[in-house]
Amino acid sequence: MDVFFNQAFAGLSMASILLMVALGLAIIYGAMGVINLAHGEFVMLGAYSAWLLQSYLGLGILASLPLIFLMVGLIGLAVERGVVRWLYHRPLDTILATWGIGIVLQQLVRMGVGSDSRYVARPTILDGNVAIGGVVMSNYRIFLVFFSLSVLAATWYLLTRTEFGTKLRAVIQNKEISECYGIRTDRIYALAFAYGAGLAGIAGALVTPLVSVTPGMGTYLVVDAFLVVIVGGVGSLLGTAVASGLVGEATALFSFLMNDTLGRVAVLLAIIMLIRFKPQGLFPDKVRR
Amino acid sequence: MNRNFSFDCIGYALFALLLLVVVPWGLGFDGFELNTFARYLTLGMVAMALALSWGCAGILNLGQAATFGLGAYIMAMHLKLKASVNMPDGMPDFMGWTNVESLPWFWEPFHSLPVTIAAGLLVPAAVAAVMGIFMFRGRITGVFVAIITLAFLVAIQLVFVEEQRYTGGENGLTGLAPLELFGWTADNYSLSFYYFVAGCLICALVLALALVRSKVGLVLRAIKENPDRVRFFGYDVARYETLAFCASAAIAGWAGMLYVLVLEFASPTYMGVPFSLAIVIWCAVGGRDSLVAAALGGIIVNMLEGRLSDLFVDGWTLFLGMLFILVVLVMPRGLFGVFHGALARVIAFYRQARLERRESLAISRSVVSGTHDKGGR
Repeated sequence: MDVFFNQAFAGLSMASILLMVALGLAIIYGAMGVINLAHGEFVMLGAYSAWLLQSYLGLGILASLPLIFLMVGLIGLAVERGVVRWLYHRPLDTILATWGIGIVLQQLVRMGVGSDSRYVARPTILDGNVAIGGVVMSNYRIFLVFFSLSVLAATWYLLTRTEFGTKLRAVIQNKEISECYGIRTDRIYALAFAYGAGLAGIAGALVTPLVSVTPGMGTYLVVDAFLVVIVGGVGSLLGTAVASGLVGEATALFSFLMNDTLGRVAVLLAIIMLIRFKPQGLFPDKVRR
Repeated sequence: MNRNFSFDCIGYALFALLLLVVVPWGLGFDGFELNTFARYLTLGMVAMALALSWGCAGILNLGQAATFGLGAYIMAMHLKLKASVNMPDGMPDFMGWTNVESLPWFWEPFHSLPVTIAAGLLVPAAVAAVMGIFMFRGRITGVFVAIITLAFLVAIQLVFVEEQRYTGGENGLTGLAPLELFGWTADNYSLSFYYFVAGCLICALVLALALVRSKVGLVLRAIKENPDRVRFFGYDVARYETLAFCASAAIAGWAGMLYVLVLEFASPTYMGVPFSLAIVIWCAVGGRDSLVAAALGGIIVNMLEGRLSDLFVDGWTLFLGMLFILVVLVMPRGLFGVFHGALARVIAFYRQARLERRESLAISRSVVSGTHDKGGR
């Protein structure tokens, strides 16, 4: 039984990382219909920023989070203004262009920092484990679960309780009409993209103690995160949260029943089935467009 | 025969001339140089396969590398078995290291070359048929097709890496014997091998063109424009889409088989996400609306990659990424789109000029005849 709970906790921890990566992606895809394959590279940039700030300025991960959010957000803003904004009417082409951006960002990091893997230390206050019965949970992973939930709450607050969120939702529903009401849609898009990128940066910084930091770390993460967004349903924060929980737990469960790789394969096949039979996702957006 | 078709024929003839005469001549009929070029040709072939589904039918398949990899592994299995005849039980070496007792049943058929070649075409096509029926019967389109094929690609690569006992895992299949076809041994550094690959590519192109120019191709282009209208006309849209998907997969499998012959190994990176998206890049750079242009796109980008990676060891990836962003932003139809636009402009210009000349001729003739009439009176 303990093994089972340990596995369930591992799944929860994976889900929390997925949630943070997928949230940014969900906003970008939900708001603009842009499939941002460079999202994995934003995660990677966040991870490298954490490494940079720690090894040169001696800042811990937690202290550098706001800075990382800003840095990666600014890069996201530059990407949106430079490339993505020309492609809003060609959604399939965004896949290609953002993949190109991803290649460029990866290569820039590889040339600037080198392709060796880097390590970032865990915050010391979050060292240690909590043991309930035979279930051992690392404090840092528990922190990640709560942190990702608070990011979710903050995003929900931003979208539903602030002026920016109201405008963003208006633009999502009908771009032309919102423009008639004086909303600067291009500015809203740019900010939403930057916010999504910033979230990816935070996610990247927070996973650094768990995985090794390499220029290519984002490539497969973005595939997973994108599947989560689709499964959850476009434009639904709750859907993204539930889907990341489901995918995380299902991966843990299948890995426990079979092995790690086949577990992942099983989850991928399950996701393919789900997209086939429910392309709108688990929580379809009920707003009329 | 309409103008488009005659342009196609001219394009294909030029392309064949380029492959069969210009390139070997330019490289001095040197087998070693031509080997690298043969590699570009196989990659051009898989880009062309993608153009068949993406450009022609509008199905963006991000998992094209899966069918390419299947073809590659099938050919590699045959060559591996040939290389292992002197091993105990004729078992490949890596199976011995991973304690496999006897040759697994699904390796057995690949002792025979005809079975291998048939399988290299049919297995990818069958996989694509299952995927196609599964997706298109449910009227899945656009982004969702892209996502499903991408997820499928990741899954299939994971399986190939995981089942090390049967597939060689991360290392792939190495130490392969050369192919023997009708008593001809494929030496991949020879001129004849280059012509073999070039011939395969031209064959595949002609077959694909026959499909595109047939009625099926017409229906496919209609589906790309508006699937609902085609459905109202009573066509079974899913069946046509599946057909295009299968044809594309079979050609990709073919290209995969050739790729193994060129490089002499099969590796799970052939099924990687980066490779699969690279195929999409080549196709987009060349222009997905034309099969030849897509093939050329694959050849050109890989040639650039080869040259640039010699010059700047790792700066070329940067260049490639930027090139790609630029292509998507500035020329969404690829090189073919630019060429096509220019051609259309030239034709329009000449037509205009001819019209004007004819008009001015007519005017002057009437003037001349007018004066003649006057003189007659």
